[in-house]
Amino acid sequence: MRRIPNLVRASTFLCSGIFAGMGMSFRIGAAASFALLAVMAQPVSAAESSSLDSVIAEDPVLSAGLKIYAEQCLQCHGEKGSGTEDYYPDPLVGDGSIGELTEIIVDTMPEEDPDLCVGEDAAAVAAYIHHAFYSEAAQIRNRPPRQSLQRLTGTQFRQSLSDLYAHFAGLQETTWESHQSKHGLSVSIYSGKGRKKEDRKIERIDPVVDFDFGKEGPGEGVPWDEFRAHWDGGLRIEQTGRYEIVVHSKTSFTMDFGHDSNQLIDNHVQSEGRNEFRRTLMLTGGRVYPLEIDFNQRKRKGETPPASISLSWVPPGGIETIIPPSALVPGWNPPALQLSTTMPPDDSSYGFERGISVDTAWDSAVTDGAIEFANAMRDRLWNDYVRKHRKDKRSREEKLKDFLSDFVTVAHRGNAEVVQPERIVDPAIEAFEDETDIIKSVVLMTLKSPRFLYPSLDADRTVSQQVANRLALVLHDSLPSEGWLQDRIKKDQMRDEQSIRRAAERMLDDARTRVKLKQMLHHWMELGPEDDLRKDDEKYPGFSEELIADLRTSLDRFLDETVWSETSDFRQLLAADWAFTNQRLADFYGDAWKPAKSDDDNADEPNESGEWTQSVRDPNIHVGVLTHPLVMARLSYHSATSPIHRGVFLIRHVMGRTLRPPNEAFSPLSPDLHPDLTTRERVALQTSPESCQICHSRINPLGFALEHFDAVGRFREKDMNKKVDASGSYLTRDDKRIEFDGARGLAEVAIANPDTHRAFVTRMFQYFVKQPVASYGAHRLDELTESFRQSDFNIKKLLVDIAVIAASDALPDSEPKKKQPKNNQTAGA
Amino acid sequence: MNMEPTAPRKPSKRLSRRRFLRRTGISAAALNFTMNLPSLALAADATPRQRLIIVFSPNGVIPDHFWPKGDEEKLEFKRILKPLEPFADQTLTIKGLCNQIQGDGDGHMRGMGCLLTGIELFPGDIQGGSDTPAGWSMGISIDQFLKNQLQADPSTRTRFGSLEFGVMVPDRADTWTRMSYAGANQPVAPIDDPYKMFDKLYGQAKNRELLASVLDDLTDDFKKIESMVSMEDRHLLQQHVELVRKVEKDLKIELEASTKSVGHAVPELTPNVEVQNDNMPEITRMQMELLVSSMAADFARVATFQITNSVGQPRMRWLDIDEGHHGLSHEPDSNEDAYEKLIRINTWYCEQIAHLAKRLQDTPEPGGSGSMLDNTTIIWTNELGKGNSHTRNDIPFVCVGGGLGLRTGRAKDYGKVSHNRFLMTIAEQMGFAQKSFGNPDFCGDGPLTGLV
Repeated sequence: MRRIPNLVRASTFLCSGIFAGMGMSFRIGAAASFALLAVMAQPVSAAESSSLDSVIAEDPVLSAGLKIYAEQCLQCHGEKGSGTEDYYPDPLVGDGSIGELTEIIVDTMPEEDPDLCVGEDAAAVAAYIHHAFYSEAAQIRNRPPRQSLQRLTGTQFRQSLSDLYAHFAGLQETTWESHQSKHGLSVSIYSGKGRKKEDRKIERIDPVVDFDFGKEGPGEGVPWDEFRAHWDGGLRIEQTGRYEIVVHSKTSFTMDFGHDSNQLIDNHVQSEGRNEFRRTLMLTGGRVYPLEIDFNQRKRKGETPPASISLSWVPPGGIETIIPPSALVPGWNPPALQLSTTMPPDDSSYGFERGISVDTAWDSAVTDGAIEFANAMRDRLWNDYVRKHRKDKRSREEKLKDFLSDFVTVAHRGNAEVVQPERIVDPAIEAFEDETDIIKSVVLMTLKSPRFLYPSLDADRTVSQQVANRLALVLHDSLPSEGWLQDRIKKDQMRDEQSIRRAAERMLDDARTRVKLKQMLHHWMELGPEDDLRKDDEKYPGFSEELIADLRTSLDRFLDETVWSETSDFRQLLAADWAFTNQRLADFYGDAWKPAKSDDDNADEPNESGEWTQSVRDPNIHVGVLTHPLVMARLSYHSATSPIHRGVFLIRHVMGRTLRPPNEAFSPLSPDLHPDLTTRERVALQTSPESCQICHSRINPLGFALEHFDAVGRFREKDMNKKVDASGSYLTRDDKRIEFDGARGLAEVAIANPDTHRAFVTRMFQYFVKQPVASYGAHRLDELTESFRQSDFNIKKLLVDIAVIAASDALPDSEPKKKQPKNNQTAGA
Repeated sequence: MNMEPTAPRKPSKRLSRRRFLRRTGISAAALNFTMNLPSLALAADATPRQRLIIVFSPNGVIPDHFWPKGDEEKLEFKRILKPLEPFADQTLTIKGLCNQIQGDGDGHMRGMGCLLTGIELFPGDIQGGSDTPAGWSMGISIDQFLKNQLQADPSTRTRFGSLEFGVMVPDRADTWTRMSYAGANQPVAPIDDPYKMFDKLYGQAKNRELLASVLDDLTDDFKKIESMVSMEDRHLLQQHVELVRKVEKDLKIELEASTKSVGHAVPELTPNVEVQNDNMPEITRMQMELLVSSMAADFARVATFQITNSVGQPRMRWLDIDEGHHGLSHEPDSNEDAYEKLIRINTWYCEQIAHLAKRLQDTPEPGGSGSMLDNTTIIWTNELGKGNSHTRNDIPFVCVGGGLGLRTGRAKDYGKVSHNRFLMTIAEQMGFAQKSFGNPDFCGDGPLTGLV
């Protein structure tokens, strides 16, 4: 990946060590929005190329620049800045302004004699370079980006299998409304030994399962020493990963998970000393896993110990806590696929995963996943199918055939006529007698087929099917499997933009979309469950694992609330003057983190720890995600802030600008060497050489603006006993420097600046569609950014627009199709 | 029944890769993937393998028709043990062993939970027919203890260490359904579905076989889809096709290589046998076939084989007995019909032991001399001595085979000694002598004398 300004590479050294050496390595290229263009591009036609030549020829400055380039630059930088192997291999591309380029050329070029090209000459050659190949517009013009073929990513593979399973098992509704309103587990409590209806004394919803029933028992009419309790509901998973389920109980119980025939914990026999049960499970984000606990307090001959039970978990990157109400869904939930197979990591050099290569590790993971899925089909879905259809007249073999044909048809994203499931199912039934062998063989054949693995290779499917395939892939990382969508496909009802939009809107309000969007935002902020956020204990006592876990919850709630509220205002992400808080956070972070008082709040009653509310408003301490302690701590060292990390994050991720990676490792200056300098002063000192300033004049003034927030994100007035200087500035694409003060000033500049909007739209598009936005039309980015602005920066609407663009690509008269007749659109076999 | 390794499957109409692989003996070949040890390793095995199989059947026996008349020198089988006659020389019956563990739990619970552990049950909330409620056993069982010892030594380490087979074990975990314990409060569940056991033993190999069978057809899918891909993108698809070919080729080479060195075949199970009462004879045979083949492959040197459970209720309709076994076992001896049925039920169990012994005798010791039975001891036992009295005195212990090096061909009677001492003998004979096993209070006199 090439970063700006490439021109100076040969004569400058930079400092990658700051990013890589300190145990806080940045995910490479997360912001390389335009690097995509260089890779996913196809060569321009001869006609277009000659029109560029004539533009240059007609412009006196450009043609002067061309001449100078040929004389002084070409030898090292090659034709059209494409680089030369011996001198300077990297292409000259980036997003610096002509002014910046001019300055660099004046100061440093040509390398052997920097005085040779100055003044008007430098300006002319900079203008030529910028216009002919360097700028973003030139890059798109020279190599129009195209959609590249991709296989399913690991995430898409997992989600697609989950939805194939759900096609048979059913899918729990997961709208934002239900997400907010349905919490806890249903419980029925029976007096006595059995679960007879007449013995049912209590029916209620328990927010959490954490009970020590003592000698009072679970409630009125239920003896403490002899009762049954039955909890029923689901576990809401919002992030794919490894979860540990932990039950503590001194009482007999069994727990089913994922399917009512899958017993996760069997403590039918309560035996002294056996009261902790741990199970580790790989669970998929965007899914609700059904769970049931059957709890049985048996009266004993002799002394009966009081009953107790608690249900906890250790979520990815978290600590052991009682499963909170928001992660529990009361009532019946359909079975959900629990897939243990993990896929190898995909390429994510552009900040999002793409399936652009295949290798043996990936191939064998696909095989393992398919085998695991086949077992789940045999043990759960097929048994359920037989039970459900036990009364109809088909023979068992006919039923198996229908069951498998349905599976193949959905997995291969088509209807039975074009998919022809019998070509897979019939030979398997013929070759094997054992049902397990038949199912495994069909599943292997189906899931290892390119028909499943390459979702965009669907040109022989109906238009509505293609549209649905794209909508499901973009919004859910999955395939169309739900009844209503299948129905619209069957009736071929998605052949115009209106109907596509309606479907996209319906699919938007779904846990799978929320998971993907939150994952995108985590990527944006470079946060992951594996981050080690521990800090210097002496300097920051109380910044504990528990506190960090609370910060994760606080940030996630803020993201959910902001994005999924009615306004869904992007600007709030960067500028909200409140945060989600609880008692522990308020204790640590002070008054600004106290809960906001609502009218019906009893002022004397302290908030219980673990209860989440919005904090009071404070425009200086709360500045959206920019000052959230989790983000601040992530962008800090062990015992000091890192204005450079913060600045790089801001310039790349928030403003969407490109920075080329530094080539040389630098350790940050030790605070001990300059005991009287503030962090700001120390960073300024270390990056003061001119060569550093080429990038750091862009980085530091942004990072410094967050200096009010220490390494754990706590607001401070002073650093090293000096008043914090949080003044900063931003150099726009058109060379304007905007001055501001502090985080609030930074946020105001950011939310008003078109760079920020464009950056967010680009990031959203690429993350969800996994293709460059320009491959859907050169003007798409501008249009999308404009409609984003028009909608008051509504993120949900932006996402619908993105999905509609991606899906409309399948319409027969779509724009890229007209332009790129050979790309993916040739009528299929 | 279709248990022979070479039994043909339903013929396939097309000559596919599947057929081809079957002809070249892929099932057998695939075995070596899971064994993960070349057969050559067997030759390096200097000391002969020692194996132990503990078979359980429930509800006590009819002592008068069970215990042989014989003495130290000679065995004279009565009705129940008659099926073992062909193995009389390799059989030793041990009378007078008593499960003397007291504490929580009823007779059946302690009979089962303390049988192989020799230690009390924890207090718990499971109430039996009498006495106080109880939980799980407080200690490890002899099979799991031996497994741990064997697995700790690289020269005796095997893929699984131990295998826990079941036949018609009810689908609930409680003190009556578990006799094997990995430690205090850690019951080990037997696998009573032969297909599940097959999956555990050979599932990986079977999956490889299935994978090989579909790879051929995948290439067609790629061909069909190629026309939909632009020239620029074709490289990814080509890369993928090459990958499929490579996997196919690697698989073929692996399979062929292991075909040459394979020692024995994977048993083929009769397909689609449901786990239900009336299929018990067939399931027992299937499980025994898997047991013998897995031991021949040296997947494990210790196994338990639990037929039903303590208080098990199989209805042996194939013997024209409609009542459940446990129900019958409560009938007084004066009930002649029940008495006769119980003799026949126990004779049936003995037939299963004899069948297992025969299968082991018919299988040559891999890499050694003699038969597998020469290096295996089957111990057939029970949670009770007699059903209607619920006594845990004179618990049946019938040993067949040469694994433990016991002096066979005789009937031994110890009068009344703690069964812990026999557990100690087993440990000692497997090479892991212990000062005690289970509750030390019952081990004072050490391992039994006069057995070897």
